[in-house]
Amino acid sequence: MLAASAAALPVLLATAGCRSSDAFAGPDPLAGRPALSPEVITLQAVIAAEQAMIGLYQAAVDANLAAAQPTTGRVLVLEGLLAQHRQHLGQLQARLVLPSGSPSAQASSSASPGVAPAQVTIARLRAAERASAVGLVRRLVTVQPALAQLFASIAASDATHVVALGG
Amino acid sequence: MTQVVAASGPVSGPVSGPVSAVQALQAALAAEDAAVFGYGVAGAHLSGNRRSAAEQDWTGHNEARDTLAAMISALGAAPVAGQAFYRLPFEVNDAASAAELAVHLEERVTRAYLAIVAVKDQRLRTFGALAMQASAERAAFWRGTTEAFPGLDVS
Repeated sequence: MLAASAAALPVLLATAGCRSSDAFAGPDPLAGRPALSPEVITLQAVIAAEQAMIGLYQAAVDANLAAAQPTTGRVLVLEGLLAQHRQHLGQLQARLVLPSGSPSAQASSSASPGVAPAQVTIARLRAAERASAVGLVRRLVTVQPALAQLFASIAASDATHVVALGG
Repeated sequence: MTQVVAASGPVSGPVSGPVSAVQALQAALAAEDAAVFGYGVAGAHLSGNRRSAAEQDWTGHNEARDTLAAMISALGAAPVAGQAFYRLPFEVNDAASAAELAVHLEERVTRAYLAIVAVKDQRLRTFGALAMQASAERAAFWRGTTEAFPGLDVS
């Protein structure tokens, strides 16, 4: 009965001289998910980069803790910087609003990619921080002012991390 | 004694609406002016490497002030004049309070440059973002630690 009613709907609309797009004022629920805006795509890329940075730091901390003679001072510095990157990620993710069930939404909240601890040197962290600061400044010119300011602040934080790592 | 160094500028810090480029640059200029004055005070209470660092930062802020004044003039406005004297946010009478003043000055400058990041002009945004990296680095030096969100109030 229900199937018959649904099948009859286009006929009824046609009889009334309406197209389905005239019958509903809002977005067409049958048209699929709307395309993500360039700003959302930029934010997703920044979030992915921050997650990668966290993965690097976690690997560096793990490597230092696993060393025969852990350097306590270095571990403390790395853990402090890692904590600040987690704060960055939290603020970035708070700005991202995606339709529920979106594959992009699921990917953006996933865990950081794993990095082999032995591969992460202080020089690599410095280079990653420097690249992050440059990348954020490049991206902030295309987004809304409030997001640009968050990017700029995180870039400034990353720049101070370079110095904290001896750069 | 005409201005309080601790006071925030008219458009400094995070904003939600459109920001006038001239207004944001003027606020940064005022912050740089205060920093030049403040480092003069701080340097008098420092010695050795830290005094050298203060002198270097004083020079940097002087140069930034000139750059900002030229940018404002290029936009057809008159740069705000610096004050002859600034009331300090707290008493500075030793090396520790001098360093604390340097942190305060750099944080204020950072907030002022953050406001420039909110203007429409893409070149100015980049300028503001790079300038606040420099002031955040100086603040971290004087504070001895880094911050997650320089210039930004994040709750």
